[in-house]
Amino acid sequence: MAIEIDPITFAVIKNGLDAIVDEMAYDVIRTARSEIVKDVMDYSAAICDTDGNMIAQAKTVALHLGAVPEAMGVVLEQYGDGLVPGDAVILNDPYQGGMHLPDIFMFMPIFDANENLQGFSVVICHHTDVGGRVAGSNASDSTEIFQEGLRIPALKLFEAGVPNDTLFKMIDINVRLPDRVIGDLKAQFAACRTGARELGKMFDRYGSEMTSTYFAELLDYAERMTRAEIAAWPDGTYSFTDYIDDDGFNDEPLPIAVAITVHGDSVTVDFEGSAPQVPAALNSTKSYTNSCSYLSVRCCLKGDIPNNAGVFRAINVTTPDASIVNPKLPAAVAARALTGYRIVDAMFGALAQIVPDRVPAAGEGGNTVVCLGGYREDGAPFIIVDMICGAWGGRPDKDGIEAITNPSQNLSNTPVETMESQHPVRVEEYALVADSCGAGKWRGGLGVARSYRLLAPEAGLQLRADRMKILPYGLAGGGPATGAINEITTNTGEPIYLPSKINRRMAQGDLVRHVQPGGGGFGDPLTRDPARVARDVWNTKISAAYAREHHRVVVDPETGVLDAVATTALRAQ
Amino acid sequence: MPGIEIHIGCDIGGTFTDIVAQMGDGALHVRKVASTPDDPGEAVVAGLADLLKDVGASLSDVREVVHGTTVGSNTILQKKGAKTGLITTQGFRDILEIGRIRTPTMFDLTWEKPEPLVPRRHRLEVNERMGADGSVVRPLADADVIAAGQYLIDEGIEAVAICYINSCFNAAHERRTADILAEKFPQLLVTASCDVLPEMKEYERTSTTVVNAYLLAAMRRYLANLTRSLGEAGMTAPLLVVASSGGMMRVETASEIPVFAVGSGPAGGVMGAARLGQANGRPDAIAFDMGGTTAKASIIEDGAPMLTSEYEFRDGISTPSRFIKGGGYMLKVPAIDIAEVGAGGGSIAWIDDGGLLQVGPVSAGADPGPACYGRGNEQPTVTDANMVLGYLNPAGLAGGSLKIDMSLAEKAIMTHIGDPLGLDLVGAASGIRKIANVAMARAIRSVTVERGRDARDMGLMAFGGGGPVHAVEVAGLLGIREVIVPAMSGVFCSVGMLASDVEHNFVRSLLGPLAKTDPASFAAAVTSLRADGEARLRTDGFPDERITLFFSADLRYLGQSSELTIPFDPDAVLNDGFDGLAAAFTASYHDTFGYTNDEPAELVNIRLAARGIRENRLTFEGVEKHVVALDIPDGERSVWFPSVGAYATIPTRARTVVSSGAVTGPAILEAYDTTVVLPPGAVATSDGCGSLVISVPDSEMEQ
Repeated sequence: MAIEIDPITFAVIKNGLDAIVDEMAYDVIRTARSEIVKDVMDYSAAICDTDGNMIAQAKTVALHLGAVPEAMGVVLEQYGDGLVPGDAVILNDPYQGGMHLPDIFMFMPIFDANENLQGFSVVICHHTDVGGRVAGSNASDSTEIFQEGLRIPALKLFEAGVPNDTLFKMIDINVRLPDRVIGDLKAQFAACRTGARELGKMFDRYGSEMTSTYFAELLDYAERMTRAEIAAWPDGTYSFTDYIDDDGFNDEPLPIAVAITVHGDSVTVDFEGSAPQVPAALNSTKSYTNSCSYLSVRCCLKGDIPNNAGVFRAINVTTPDASIVNPKLPAAVAARALTGYRIVDAMFGALAQIVPDRVPAAGEGGNTVVCLGGYREDGAPFIIVDMICGAWGGRPDKDGIEAITNPSQNLSNTPVETMESQHPVRVEEYALVADSCGAGKWRGGLGVARSYRLLAPEAGLQLRADRMKILPYGLAGGGPATGAINEITTNTGEPIYLPSKINRRMAQGDLVRHVQPGGGGFGDPLTRDPARVARDVWNTKISAAYAREHHRVVVDPETGVLDAVATTALRAQ
Repeated sequence: MPGIEIHIGCDIGGTFTDIVAQMGDGALHVRKVASTPDDPGEAVVAGLADLLKDVGASLSDVREVVHGTTVGSNTILQKKGAKTGLITTQGFRDILEIGRIRTPTMFDLTWEKPEPLVPRRHRLEVNERMGADGSVVRPLADADVIAAGQYLIDEGIEAVAICYINSCFNAAHERRTADILAEKFPQLLVTASCDVLPEMKEYERTSTTVVNAYLLAAMRRYLANLTRSLGEAGMTAPLLVVASSGGMMRVETASEIPVFAVGSGPAGGVMGAARLGQANGRPDAIAFDMGGTTAKASIIEDGAPMLTSEYEFRDGISTPSRFIKGGGYMLKVPAIDIAEVGAGGGSIAWIDDGGLLQVGPVSAGADPGPACYGRGNEQPTVTDANMVLGYLNPAGLAGGSLKIDMSLAEKAIMTHIGDPLGLDLVGAASGIRKIANVAMARAIRSVTVERGRDARDMGLMAFGGGGPVHAVEVAGLLGIREVIVPAMSGVFCSVGMLASDVEHNFVRSLLGPLAKTDPASFAAAVTSLRADGEARLRTDGFPDERITLFFSADLRYLGQSSELTIPFDPDAVLNDGFDGLAAAFTASYHDTFGYTNDEPAELVNIRLAARGIRENRLTFEGVEKHVVALDIPDGERSVWFPSVGAYATIPTRARTVVSSGAVTGPAILEAYDTTVVLPPGAVATSDGCGSLVISVPDSEMEQ
């Protein structure tokens, strides 16, 4: 007998799910051990139905969402009926449902009172280290996945609530900081249990059949809203190509080419023409490429569409085989996030042709990852995995934002004082960089600089950046932002410029500094309101020289006062 | 009338100013007057004079005025604070603007980051640096400070915040900077972070310090005006301010650290609920306060409100989610942990693009108010739904001073909800009410279930204008068996203030493994905290026998970033070592997160809440006979209850009727300040402390 959907119960269940995933996410942040999870918040929490469709996700890393279905598929295929209450399955292998090795997925099956499987709680955490040749397991210069650390196929970390000692010992011995990794796995387990407990209550209250009917309706509802919006988009094919500077070995830019075809109420995204897979760790698995594509479309939809898998049904993604957006074993993938960011940039470039009133100019092009690992004076190991974000490009009706997470993630930062109290470094700068924005009617956000002085005897430095050569693009006549800078100051005293992707030693006292790109500008810089330009000069975000060069606006560099007469004259030239 | 001693509780809100007078004999009188936002003292003085005249007393009989104020929150919301500058460590001028990077929403490319309270131009760096171990890496040059001060003066800056990296481990440079500024530029109002918040995490500390500096002038001006107005009217008694933590601050303290009073408004009610629970045997309870724009929930454990050490103050409504950051101004000060949702009486019901019924956060407020007020709002609100369903008195709210037009409520509901969703009037109205109930339940969940506390173990104390209208159904959604509606629940924030103590909070950072903590350092920290607390309270005029000190420790497992705050007895720790504290942490961790580790705990901070017990503090015992209430005559009306599914005519009674025997629902109890809804099967009795105790029937239970 079909269950009628009652709009009130529907709203109650939807809000209930949102509360459960929030609660899971809060558990993680309160119990995790590593800065990358508890401070930077590189993790996510979600609930899936029995088919592995994600039905709710907490406000955590957005890009994890699209990868969950593939990983769930692997878990279901492998364990199917063999799951019992209290199980927790983990995996990280990019070639069996994972994204890159540091991201360990955990799935906990949820059963109703009759012990029938009704769904899964899912928590994904980026772990500080999973072994491999470089501390942090994040190097961009690995050439095959076997260098990148411990690969975990779908395995039960807990069986009916009992820890799997074999697997725990395997992990413990293969990672550089087992206390943190095991501690973060426990945080994932606690959050998964919270999800299972609370969802169990929902099944008790409404009954399994009714609840799963509403879950299905939630997916349909999101799909309906998505299709309704896409139907209003103009049919056609829209292409854009953006580039990664290089793979760190060769100087050649790597194209990410995308063609979005709008047909009726759905879209097809095709990556034909993107670079072949590279002998570096920049390859993005198909599941991650899917994620980035879904997310980019999602960002251009209006309305409060539930964050669930129903949205994906209106989006079809195709990729060339053995490419940077769909690699084959044994391609290395640790730094795939960079490629993901560029996929989003390329997607936005194409989407800007479809919905020009909604898409900003390019942002910083993704967070920069800084890994510093070594041993203290007393021999104790340390690993810092830090992420530096970020700037948004100018928008169709307002400026970009400075010091902000890339919209495809929802990352935070590590407090300087927390870092210094735990690790042998001193941060000497964490600041905005004036004049780094792309000019436009609406300017991009300023880039951010951050520097680290090593206090330990020595350490390995691994740094993944980009956008040194291929700058964040402007839109609608807006200019590009400035590019990234990596520099190191050793005991010789002069800063030395470094390439974007680095894996080298640092000596005690060395200072490494990274400058992120700003965001691109939107619209003709000469149409920017001179009062806004003057305000930026007054507020020391741009210089008077920048104002004159890019906007033809004359402002007193000291007082920030606009010279309207001189501006009119200059703009008339 | 010699010998009268009157204590006044006063809640100065945006729309109404509620005044409650506690007479020497315990009698409680209430007055509600329109607020005067330009000069809040005007409404207080007028309302107070009016109330005192009625009871035959004068302002010179008043011993004390305790009050909650929204000056702090409004100054931030309206961006009306002082022109503020910031002095920071070389390399860190943008800490305030960078913040924690996150956005509170996902997929939203139109989001706006809150403007920092200090623009970049007025954020200056000086070349100094402390190390994480408290050592001086680069010494401070006086000349740099003088140059910075001169620049800020030239820029017309009125207030300055000072926050240096690692000043939580060595505050010498901050203190020196503050001294230099005070000496060279006495016209500047200065706040150093070490005097507001000597805790780790530079953004949180900087933000808190900046907000404090930003508020100094407004709060001082406001408190001086209020003190003067009351003084000119003949009052000589001291004025106290409710802090965000629910404790009281002297005017002198609030004038130095106003950031501690940003959450002053709602704190009084929670304190009252805590004190009431001590009196009526319900030390664990949920305080539930529903007003016109929002509903708020907080929990009380062992007779004390649960506190948080940080929160984000933002425009609009805070979501009940605990981990979302980036939407507001971070304040790392002790505050009652209040979850707030945009579901109040004035919240508007609407249908989203996907056809889903939603309530709030947009509110029609008190003006124009619900559609049934007929003052220009045509959107249906929660109050309109309650009116259609018969819960509220159509003869008028607030004692009949407001005219209600039922047809406007019906029209609004059908036009905007019923017709589009294919629901009849009752279906749409009950749907609106249900969605509002679920939203309120979510706020309660976020302070209970999300904290590992089972709401079913606690009573729900419901107050504010709308709390008792919804409380029994909200309780049912959460499996709560008992609802308590306190005396004068509609003005309970004012009542609650009369039940509060004076409180000062202090903290010392002491980072390291708990078991390896040096007992001498621990003892020294305890001693210095105790000295600070006692000195402050003695200055406030408290004799030693009225001073109580509550110590607690922030603990976590090594490597974590969030702490649990565990109370301890310093003598026990110093005599017996740290094992007891470690065990208490483990137990609390298990309660909160459902698992424990065999790992050592890490100590982060030691905290002291130093309380001065006010004389004649309201305890609620026997308060029933003192409530001088304005009842509404008995009557009857047609009401729709979900458990009945049809309209039925039921009695409406004066709320005081309960003192002469239990009342079984269906019934509506009415008073001057609030309406209490008793669904069928709910039984209301008296607790002897002025409250109704309502048992929630099985028919309302949803789990």
